[in-house]
Amino acid sequence: MNGLLLPLATTNIEIGKHTTVTVGGMTFNVDTIISTFVAGAIVLILGFWARSALTKKNPSHVPTKIQLLWETIVGEVNKQVEDNLGRVHPFVVPLAVALFFFILIANWLELLPTEINHDLHLLPAPTADTNLTYAMAIMAMVGVWIYGIREKGARGYFRHFIEPFPVLLPLNILEELTKPITLALRLFGNIFAGGIMLALIGLIPFYASWLPNLVWKLFDMFIGGIQAFIFALLTVLYFGMAGAGHGEHEEHEADSHDNTPELAH
Amino acid sequence: MATQAIVAMESNFLVPNGTFFVELFAFAIMVWILAKFVIPPINKAMTARQEAIRQQFADLDQAKTEAHEAEEEFRSQIADARHEAARIREEAREQGAAIIAEMREQAQAEAQRIVEHAHTQIEADRKAAVTSLRNEVGTLATTLAGRIVGESLDDEARQSRVVDRFLADLDSTRTSGVN
Repeated sequence: MNGLLLPLATTNIEIGKHTTVTVGGMTFNVDTIISTFVAGAIVLILGFWARSALTKKNPSHVPTKIQLLWETIVGEVNKQVEDNLGRVHPFVVPLAVALFFFILIANWLELLPTEINHDLHLLPAPTADTNLTYAMAIMAMVGVWIYGIREKGARGYFRHFIEPFPVLLPLNILEELTKPITLALRLFGNIFAGGIMLALIGLIPFYASWLPNLVWKLFDMFIGGIQAFIFALLTVLYFGMAGAGHGEHEEHEADSHDNTPELAH
Repeated sequence: MATQAIVAMESNFLVPNGTFFVELFAFAIMVWILAKFVIPPINKAMTARQEAIRQQFADLDQAKTEAHEAEEEFRSQIADARHEAARIREEAREQGAAIIAEMREQAQAEAQRIVEHAHTQIEADRKAAVTSLRNEVGTLATTLAGRIVGESLDDEARQSRVVDRFLADLDSTRTSGVN
């Protein structure tokens, strides 16, 4: 209703349009919330499926496929976290795993069509709504800041804003603010653009649209995977940077700050 | 004014609205559930499996080492047994040779003894024969000669002279005959 219209004269593709409900002066995008819950439910079902496979008595000790899937992801995340933070952190690992799985499933939700060659999808990707991407980015970054302050102490953490030179204070603050925004908008932009591409392809007559539709959806799956991976990886990297200070000068600080974690890079 | 502001915000999809809080809450819940119920058992299972594999490899290494040691011991025992067998064989051969040599020596000594004994016997017999001949031939001859001559040749001195001459003749004839 309030959506922007594309400058295509005869089409009625509306972008950024959501089914909304207003409660107590706050607007809620119902479609995003529903698809978030669907994606979240799928992730949790997969997770508990793996858990049940794990806790079941298995005399042959052969892992099931769902177990292997989770173990691969968790193992990779463990490795990344250990490389960047120096140890397997009990908050960072679940956060990164949740980010990866949830973003992946959420991105792929968009590929389900309502009907053949129609631009509408059964469920819009919740990641194509900035509300979700902002929420995930804020959560990740607040975690990063808390982790940084805990690792280095409040003084130690805030001191790196004036390092290597106090002149760089505005840049350092800006960088810290840019991190969540870029995290959120990178994911949003990619998935949102994917939705628009699907809508545009939907405009092609049905006898010709199946090929671009097929190609684009395959590519969109790839993009969805890449974006999920990037979001999770960058979150882990930000944690690593917050714990270690910037660049190479953490080596000098290691002497004065004995609580500086050992660094992998 | 306020209504206008809300409408303006709603129109911009880059500006978050109330959905943000729902999403934040939902995502936080999901992270918490995963952190509480899903990730730990997966980590535990992975650690356990890694440990089990490491253990199996360690066991394998140990078993291999033990097998090597056992093989080594077996080999050395075999070699020892071979040496022992060779030694025993050698010893037996030496003993056999010694026994044979000893037996041969004994046999030779026995043979020697028997031969010597035989020689002695023969010598004694010969002497006895000579003595008996010397005694009896004289008597016999004189008796015979006495019968032929009809004269008693009982005279000791004559008898022995005759016998001696006879024997001397006999000896000389035999000697010349042999020669």
